[in-house]
Amino acid sequence: MNYLVCYHLAALILFGLGLYGITGRKSLVGMLISVELMLNGAGLALVASSRLTPAVDELGQLGTLLVMGLAAAEATLVLAIILIVSRRFGTTDIADIATLKG
Amino acid sequence: MDQLLGIQIMGIHPAYGLYLAFIICGGAVAVLAKSLVRALSGLIITLFGVAGMYLLMAAPFLAFMQILIYVGAVTVLIFFAIMLTRTTEGESGTESRRSGRGFLGIWAAAFSTLVLAAVVIRHMPKAIALKPEVTLGRLGEFLTGPFALSFELISAVLFVAMAGAVLLGFERRKAK
Repeated sequence: MNYLVCYHLAALILFGLGLYGITGRKSLVGMLISVELMLNGAGLALVASSRLTPAVDELGQLGTLLVMGLAAAEATLVLAIILIVSRRFGTTDIADIATLKG
Repeated sequence: MDQLLGIQIMGIHPAYGLYLAFIICGGAVAVLAKSLVRALSGLIITLFGVAGMYLLMAAPFLAFMQILIYVGAVTVLIFFAIMLTRTTEGESGTESRRSGRGFLGIWAAAFSTLVLAAVVIRHMPKAIALKPEVTLGRLGEFLTGPFALSFELISAVLFVAMAGAVLLGFERRKAK
């Protein structure tokens, strides 16, 4: 058990929690929160892999930075989509959103 | 540097345990809380835990960016999503559990996590001592050198995402 394994296990915990949230949550906002958890796990694993092995440091750190930027873009788009869905269907409960053509 | 990171209580640095507790408790709240605002608070605690782990790995720039981008921007966006989608009937910002699927969700998450954890523990390469910190200038050089294409692409993606969000907002107003 070295530090690398410790950090990767922390990232896996984040991944597992996020996966459970995605399957268990009933609203779109709850699922968005779970996606953010999983993205954080990915970033943590990337940084741990680049910092604690002979790999190139900058690759992991900048990769995580790009993941953060993508997460921000994704959150913006998802916010707009959630707004539209809640206007059209009157709810963000995924069980009630069953029509393809609004 | 090895002494700095390393490992006193049963091979683990005490600060690592603290951050891990942040991550686990915050993540559990984020996933299990019935109120979405509470779930968001749990997410914020988790984000701070991850930022602490970046600091522990001597990547202070990433820790700063984590707090700036995630805690500062993304959580505010999610909070707006919670606020703007509150319905008039029923309590705002809460959700009911999906009955019957909770067990399947636990099973799926636990199975994939345990398989990955077994692989990680079995095949993890040997860790080296923590390397010296990468300076911000070096990161910037890398970003404009080998990462230039990704840098430009992420700018384009961000712009498209923002423009798309604005466009969707206009469409909603017209439909109303």
